[in-house]
Parts: sequence; C-alpha cells; structure tokens
Amino acid sequence: MGKQERDVRISLQTLRVLEAFLENPLNELAGADVQKRSGIASGTLYPILLRLESAGWFVSRWETVDPASVGRPRRRLYRLTPGGLTRASEVFASFGRGVLA
Amino acid sequence: MNKKRGLAGWLIQQAARGAPPLLAERLEEEWLADLAERQGTLARLRLAVGCCWATRVIAHEHCAASVAATATTTGSKTMIAYARPDVSLFSRRTISVLLILGLHVVIIYAFATGLARPLLSKLIPPIIVVPMPDPERHWDPPPLPQPTLSANKLQVDREPVDYFPPPAREGLEAQPVLPQVGPTLPVSPELPPRVAHREGGGPGKGFPHTDDFYPANALRLGQEGVATVQVCVDEKGRLTAMPTITQSSGTASLDDGAMKLAKAGSGHYRPTTEDGRPVSSCYEYRIGFHVRKDGR
Repeated sequence: MGKQERDVRISLQTLRVLEAFLENPLNELAGADVQKRSGIASGTLYPILLRLESAGWFVSRWETVDPASVGRPRRRLYRLTPGGLTRASEVFASFGRGVLA
Repeated sequence: MNKKRGLAGWLIQQAARGAPPLLAERLEEEWLADLAERQGTLARLRLAVGCCWATRVIAHEHCAASVAATATTTGSKTMIAYARPDVSLFSRRTISVLLILGLHVVIIYAFATGLARPLLSKLIPPIIVVPMPDPERHWDPPPLPQPTLSANKLQVDREPVDYFPPPAREGLEAQPVLPQVGPTLPVSPELPPRVAHREGGGPGKGFPHTDDFYPANALRLGQEGVATVQVCVDEKGRLTAMPTITQSSGTASLDDGAMKLAKAGSGHYRPTTEDGRPVSSCYEYRIGFHVRKDGR
C-alpha cells in the first residue's frame, strides 16, 4: 500500500483477529477463515478487518479463481502488511500473549 | 442463485446496500462468498444477521471518518451530506429489528403451541428412567413378646363340713353316707384363661403438631416442660370426655397449651385395640414443649 500505518483501537476481539494472522503471517485468510480461527461473530469481525485494512495493517485482494469452475463466489483474502506485522508484534509484546490464554 | 442463498443471502444483500457506496459491492460479494462456505441454516442466518450489524458499524465508522477528515475544510454542510446515509439506514435498521422481533414471536409461538416439540425431541434426548435396585437391607424384625401365660391353679380351701344325717324314714335303713370334702370338679391346669392382646392408644395420624400449640408467652420466655394428659377415646379416636392434666408441666401456660392440643387432636387419636379390634378406653400420654435452637 505504501501508506503509513495508523493507530487502531485495540480491543480483545482485535487481538484475536491479529492472533489468527500471526499464526502464519504470510498466509492470506478470508473472513470465514478468520472467523473459524478467532471465534468472533461476523458482526464484529468484518468491521475489524475493514478498520485494520484502512489503517494499513492489512491488504486485501480478490481470490484469483473462476467462480464458475470452482462452483462458488470468489473470496476476499486478507494479509498482514510488513508494517502491520510489526505493529501487531509490538501490540502483543506490550500486552503479552497471556491475555488470550 | 438467489433461491439457493435463501433468506440469509437476501439479508446480506439488503445489509450490503446499506453500507457506504464505495464498499457496498465489495462487501456483498465478500459476504456472499463467506456465506457459501457456511453449512446449516442457523449458521447462515447468524452470518447474515452479523452482516446486518457489521453494516451498521461500518457505515457509522465510515461516516465519522469522513466527517472528521472534511469538517475542517468544508464546515457543517459536509456533515449533513454524510448524515443522510445514516438516516436512510434507519429504515433498514427498523427492518432488522422487526425481523428479530418476528423471529422471537415465531419462536415463542412455536413453544406455546407445541410446534417445537418435534425439534426439541431431536435436540434433547428423551429421559430414560432406569429403576435402581433397592439397597439390601438387613432388617431383623423385633422379637415377638413371649406370652406370659401362667397356669392358674384353682385353690380350694378344704374345710370340714358338718354332717347331719337325715332322719331315717320308716322301712328304710339308714345308709351310711360318706362325708364329701370339698367340690369334686376336676381342675385342669393345662387350659389357662384366655388373655386378650391389648395395645394401648395414643396420638395417631394427623394429630396436631406441638409447635402449633406452644403458648407464645412461654416460647418468648423460653419455658419448657412436659405435661401428662389423660384422654378417653372411643373406637374412632374421638374424645368421649374432657381431657385432664394428670401431671402438670410446672407451668400453667404449658398445661393450658397441652389441654388445647389434647382437645384439638380429637378424631386423630389412635384407639386402644384388643386383638386388633379398636375399643373405647382411657389412657395417658405425655406432651412435651421444648424450645428449638432455631427459636421454635
């Protein structure tokens, strides 16, 4: 994106979303994947994803598949940006991983 | 496609239309793609309802961010322009609320009319009652009382009897008569007199509780005592005469309470039985008044 990452209000749900991405920072996850890993309700999850994306922590793109061939709509995939990875790591370092245990 | 998505797909489409215009198309496609991965009607509806809520949050945040970014340059006119989508969202929010209310009504109606019974029978397995065997009890019946029958021998005093010979009649010689001493009836000691099995009476089933007749002043003062009352009871457990205090408890109010209790118990006395047959009788029993630790 090339833009400066902005601060994001860190809630427990935001930490859970970040934790789902930090399991493998290079992975691209759709909203349904994040929901399975974090257990957050969809009404909370999608605003967090958009918030983190608009703050520059995430980037997203459409899945490059043909919906007709795979028999389902294409998914929106999210991935941590390098800056987002740094910020997320800082957040977890300041909070400590124990808060999600 | 729409039919396949069902109500959840329709809700998501409606929700996405309430999102900011730049995001509406993207959110709709993204959410429908996530919906396609959901299995089960309930999970799909949960996602759809969540998307309705997410739309509201996203629209609110987008509106606030836009206002914050432009307010310093354009003033309050921009705020009005961005406030409109939120106003239009009100109708969708109302629809969502009405849908939720309708869902509640359907659920309550289903529970009230028993339509949900087949569903509940699937969710909740039927209760299986397994009779547990009674624990083995080693109960020895109390020994029967030994009969205290004693062979009563009839004691007869053998007193000498004066014999006066009758006057001799003419033509008959006087026959000597041997004097008889005592009766000559044989007494059999092997047949004792029959003794009826008598079981005394007392307060029976349904007899009033002592606590209900504990005099209030005696209870307040912590007075305790035991009074002995004599009652006369017929075969049906009813009083046939006024009860009497045969031994006082030492406190007049407790004696009075005992008398009231004895009267109130009429009809609930257990009559005395003889060979299992109820008979009228008079007997005594004790009525104790004791203050419990909890105040009664």
